[in-house]
Amino acid sequence: MNLLRLVWIFAKIGAVVFGGGFVMIPFIQREVVEHYGWLTQQQFVDAIALGQITPGPILISATFIGYKVQGLTGAVVATLAVFLPSFLMTALAARQLSRLRSTPRIAGFLRGVLPAVVATLVMAAITIGRAALWLDWRLLLLTLAALVLLVRYKVDAVYVVVGAGITGFLVER
Amino acid sequence: MPDREVVPDTVPEAACQSGVSLLALTQVMLKVGATGFGMGMVGVLQQEAVTRRAWLSQQEFADGLALANLLPGPIAVDAAVYIGYKLRGWSGATVCLLALLVPAFAIMLGLTIGYLNYGQVPQLHGAFRGLNAAVVALVLAVAYRIGKSSLKSTPQVVLAVLALAAALLHANPVTLVLACGVIGALALVPRQKVVP
Repeated sequence: MNLLRLVWIFAKIGAVVFGGGFVMIPFIQREVVEHYGWLTQQQFVDAIALGQITPGPILISATFIGYKVQGLTGAVVATLAVFLPSFLMTALAARQLSRLRSTPRIAGFLRGVLPAVVATLVMAAITIGRAALWLDWRLLLLTLAALVLLVRYKVDAVYVVVGAGITGFLVER
Repeated sequence: MPDREVVPDTVPEAACQSGVSLLALTQVMLKVGATGFGMGMVGVLQQEAVTRRAWLSQQEFADGLALANLLPGPIAVDAAVYIGYKLRGWSGATVCLLALLVPAFAIMLGLTIGYLNYGQVPQLHGAFRGLNAAVVALVLAVAYRIGKSSLKSTPQVVLAVLALAAALLHANPVTLVLACGVIGALALVPRQKVVP
């Protein structure tokens, strides 16, 4: 019964969290800590922290919660369930978008959306930067260097990410 | 499913004619999933799929991000599914989602088991802050490339500035994207039919 409930809760979470990242945290907390008591508050905080140091989406914290509830099966089920709703919606929307792209109204809509997309990206960078780098000139310098490497010299993101991680580790040791 | 044959034109041509193999999609998504942290994935995704391999144009990628903003789920995951669907239909979308999640799932599982046995979160503050610097740079790089290639008219630039101001004032991102889309549908409609 736990497995079905796991699918239901995580599919529900997956259907209502937008933009990923930190927006979803209070919602998931309400369900898995307050409502079902699957995790203690501390475990939940640690699960999110682990999701952040793991590459990939932060929502991968679902793996932790699923494992805690039902072992390996729970981990697989929770992870798939949390991404299923957005997977279906995105694929269906992609299908429609390719068809509708040439309609003038939709083309106009997309032209209007692009500036908003750029704005939300800049906003995301500000939010992440504010939480992690605020007023630390070494980290701001590191960000700037990474940006120049990515944009100007088109360096492979892998090297930038690994290099930044190692630099941060060395600087703060 | 007989009713699918009746409407073959609902399947976009790109779904079967892109020539991108599922193996190549898998490789790229594994790389994105293993090196992108949170929003950083969007940057790796753009570098791999648009800049390096030209699987889709900057414009098409931006459309995908717009869609990802409007739909639930992490932006980067939605964008990956969009690319997968666009290039190889349902199998492409499925392969992209799974390949993107495999590295994260494996690492998270390892960390979870470690945590539940030893009760500790690895102390990687320095490395984590360095990684965040890279994430910020990756996200800004995407904003820069999309801005440069897509914000072609003055109204769009004005709209971008207004949208950023609204975002800074904590406007809900979904509402913001929708509102700008509606403004576009009313005011930025191209004169002639757009060539797809």
